[in-house]
Amino acid sequence: MNIREIDIKEFRQEMLRLRKEGMDFLRDIIGMDWKEDGIGAVYILENSNTHEVEEVSVRTANREKPQLPTVCDIWKVAELLEREAYDFFGIEFNGHPDLRRLYLRNDWTGHPLRKDYDPSEAINPVRLESEKDEDVRREYEIQEEKQLAELVERLKILHYDQYVINIGPQHPATHGVLRFRLSVEGEVIRKVDIKCGYIHRGIEKLCESRTYPQILAFTDRLDYLSAHQNRHALCMCIEKAMGLEVTERVQYIRTIMDELQRIDSHLLMFSCMAMDMGAITSFIYGFREREKVLDIMEEVTGGRLIQNYNIIGGVQADITPGFAEKVKAYCNDQKRRLKEYYDVFVNNIILKTRAKGVGVLSLEDAISFGATGGTGRASGWACDVRKRHPYALYDKVEFKEIVHAEGDSYSRLLVRLEEIEESIKIIEQLIDNIPEGDYKTKTKPIIKLPEGTFSASVEGSRGEFGVFIDSRGDKSPYRLKFKPMGLPLIAAAHKIMKKCKIADLITIGASLDYVIPDIDR
Amino acid sequence: MKFKDTYFGGIFGAISSLLTGMGVTLREFFTRKVTEQYPENRKELHISERHRALLVMPHDENGNNKCIACGLCRQACPNGTISITTRTVTDEETGKSKKVLDTYMYDLGACMFCQLCVNSCPKGAIEFTNEFENAVFDRKKLIMKLNR
Amino acid sequence: MFDFTSMTTAIDSYLNSVLPSSAATLIECAIIAVCVIVAYLVFAIIMIFMERKVCAAFQCRLGPMRVGPWGLLQVFADVFKMLIKEIISIKNSDKILYNLAPFLVLMSSIITFSCLPFDKGLQVLDFNIGAFFIMAASSFGILGILLAGWSSNNKFSMIGAVRSGGQMISYELSMGLSILTLVVLSGTMQISEIVETQTKGWFIFTGHVPAFIAFIIYIIAGNAETNRAPFDLPEAESELTAGFHTEYSGMNFGFFYVAEFMNMFIIAGIASTLFLGGWAPLYVPGLEGFNSVMECIPGFVWFLAKTFFVIWLLMWIRWTFPRLRIDQVLALEWKYLVPIGLINLLIMTICVVMGWTF
Repeated sequence: MNIREIDIKEFRQEMLRLRKEGMDFLRDIIGMDWKEDGIGAVYILENSNTHEVEEVSVRTANREKPQLPTVCDIWKVAELLEREAYDFFGIEFNGHPDLRRLYLRNDWTGHPLRKDYDPSEAINPVRLESEKDEDVRREYEIQEEKQLAELVERLKILHYDQYVINIGPQHPATHGVLRFRLSVEGEVIRKVDIKCGYIHRGIEKLCESRTYPQILAFTDRLDYLSAHQNRHALCMCIEKAMGLEVTERVQYIRTIMDELQRIDSHLLMFSCMAMDMGAITSFIYGFREREKVLDIMEEVTGGRLIQNYNIIGGVQADITPGFAEKVKAYCNDQKRRLKEYYDVFVNNIILKTRAKGVGVLSLEDAISFGATGGTGRASGWACDVRKRHPYALYDKVEFKEIVHAEGDSYSRLLVRLEEIEESIKIIEQLIDNIPEGDYKTKTKPIIKLPEGTFSASVEGSRGEFGVFIDSRGDKSPYRLKFKPMGLPLIAAAHKIMKKCKIADLITIGASLDYVIPDIDR
Repeated sequence: MKFKDTYFGGIFGAISSLLTGMGVTLREFFTRKVTEQYPENRKELHISERHRALLVMPHDENGNNKCIACGLCRQACPNGTISITTRTVTDEETGKSKKVLDTYMYDLGACMFCQLCVNSCPKGAIEFTNEFENAVFDRKKLIMKLNR
Repeated sequence: MFDFTSMTTAIDSYLNSVLPSSAATLIECAIIAVCVIVAYLVFAIIMIFMERKVCAAFQCRLGPMRVGPWGLLQVFADVFKMLIKEIISIKNSDKILYNLAPFLVLMSSIITFSCLPFDKGLQVLDFNIGAFFIMAASSFGILGILLAGWSSNNKFSMIGAVRSGGQMISYELSMGLSILTLVVLSGTMQISEIVETQTKGWFIFTGHVPAFIAFIIYIIAGNAETNRAPFDLPEAESELTAGFHTEYSGMNFGFFYVAEFMNMFIIAGIASTLFLGGWAPLYVPGLEGFNSVMECIPGFVWFLAKTFFVIWLLMWIRWTFPRLRIDQVLALEWKYLVPIGLINLLIMTICVVMGWTF
């Protein structure tokens, strides 16, 4: 990676200039602790038209009270990404309207990803009582005379005289442990406050003390519905850093498994959306077919949810002899079943009235929120990594990038179902032509990456999944960041859920298709 | 204005879409059911050969295993699932002392089935099997001694 | 056709001969109450089992298979489970209303249940404004739901209750309209007479198009009245966890559960009484041999067969469609069902006046 460092004084100007030049997609903000070289962040920007990528970094020498200018007025997704950086590194972003912790409890002491963090239990004991909801938020502002700003004001998030409903963390429709606090007027939602972190496991922190092969096991546990793609991204990143070429057979297997996983995920999305809308029968139909995908994957990888298949330099085991026949039989069956889904659920008038025009995410917002994947494509943003930055075999196969213009919940569902067809097409192109060769390249028992920063990204089941590794030549990374697929979706949900009804919140949540362990990490 | 956008067109469109849906469910009403009745179907139950459910150390007919007590699997494990105790045995003929395995303890309760131990083993002494019915009432029973 | 009136009058005259008339009436009341409650529970058990199996079949599953052969004893296991559960009391809830609510719901459904004509003469409540009474009795169940939601001190319950209030009061209207359409056709409100008229052809055939439209409207409205999908907004498990009965446990929840199922039975029973001829056998004019064969089948078999057919229809609908949103539920009622129902009533009146019925 080629990271250009910007001086903190020119940072805002430079970022505004980059935005003006067309860098409208902020892929990620990676908080960094360079020890004596200060503390700061790496920003990965992309031009959504030309797919040009620019990586910039900014740092401050003040370790005690690091402060950086915010960019959340330039890219909307930065609001949550900066909250994450504040949570993990204690970086205060001047001008950020709502600087609270994102993942950790608000009574947590210290910022865990800093290198000088003390993890002793005396400082942060296991607290058994639940935390108090913060109903005020802090805002920092740059003041003219002195660069370093102080706490300026406290704004109310939810007022005590509002009718506040708590949805989650344990709720049937949040698909995991996510929590919404809604201020409602009758059925209409006035304000949404989203709380994450209920399944935060500190995976990025754990990675810093694990060897590279050990880190691989974590990726299956991020977004468990794109376990293959996540692991593919990490393997690709490590292989890129090591300068390791994988055989063509491995590329074929990886691509096929990625697509099978995508079908699996999209089937689950269809099913869960059906269940959230109350059509339980459609849910079971979707799961019936998903079971077949899982059976195929289990036969090859030995796992249904936690696949554990990609390893550095190849895959864990070769495909089984009957694999191609099974996949082909499944693909044929699935095409027939898709029609059934349309008949029973998708074309249903009740679904159409409930989902059409609900939760509209405009194209500008989709890009500004960085909502990639099916959500972005439903808003008309051609954001498929497989087309933007082809990896594995995606430049050799033919498939259509499904793009809808409406940006509502209904088109988000359609995108997923149509992508199942495209995935089947990709699989059918590859399955008969898997070349002979080794299924893995031998690597040294201890894997060390050269010094430098590396990144790779793949198209996960619900968006772009990226891996960023800062290596210092050790057998474990100095800093490893996973770009979650769900966090931008949560950021976007925040906006499009306002002024909807409670039932619409469920529709929007289901159509955005987020997976919480991926957001929380 | 097309017919389907009118008031009555809307009603007929809606009814036809609802009837299509009901047709699908009616068809499924009479198709063969997909429920698998575990545990009654244990005999015909198919579990993938590669399914990772339990770490075992295969022994040959003389009760010998291939483990050389090198400890690579213990190092590879991210969770500290494996603990090995060794003793040193001196070969009487050559006079060389050699480390041999005493106990090989494996904690199924902490295992995340990442297969790193199996991958790291230079002798192929351990492997995963697909025996998945490992539920017990006491966590202590999950800590197993693998060598005999 | 066997008339149960002879049997009931025989019992009545026997009791009056051995006892003073006040005591006889009292004992009759007790016998009838026991009969109604037993029948109510038996049907509830059949319904719950049927729901589970039918739902499973639509979803390509087997349903309960473990308790008893083909899971036949599943319902008893369920009830046993519910009975041994703790009845929790909620902090800051309105204790009296909270405990009263399930009984209100249950009471309304039992009263309506006793209006159903199972066979000729086999009917507890039968008087000249029967159809009217059914409407009135079934509509106070909503009170129980509102109270349950309000007294639970839970925001989910509250929203569920308010939703159900809006929904059920609205749908009462189109239900009334479609019943009225049939009253126009039959010319009486007395349930027994309505059925009697249908021995010479069921209303859904004699009333042709308007009766069929009324039947469709009645099924939709009935579905909404029983709070079942696609109108299960008051419960809406994916939105409000369990809506108005979120805070109920044990048998208090069981009462809501049973009442919901029995309301479905009642809706189906009324549908079969009004539209499909109740206990009246299938009658085809001109085919005397066929008609006499049909006559041999006892009336209550006809009634139950028709009722369970309508229940199956309701289940089919319930297990196919997604849930509506509250504004759409009301739009469906006020923009579609009510105007269509009114016009349908007019058409039916014209048909009856002009003699265009069969």
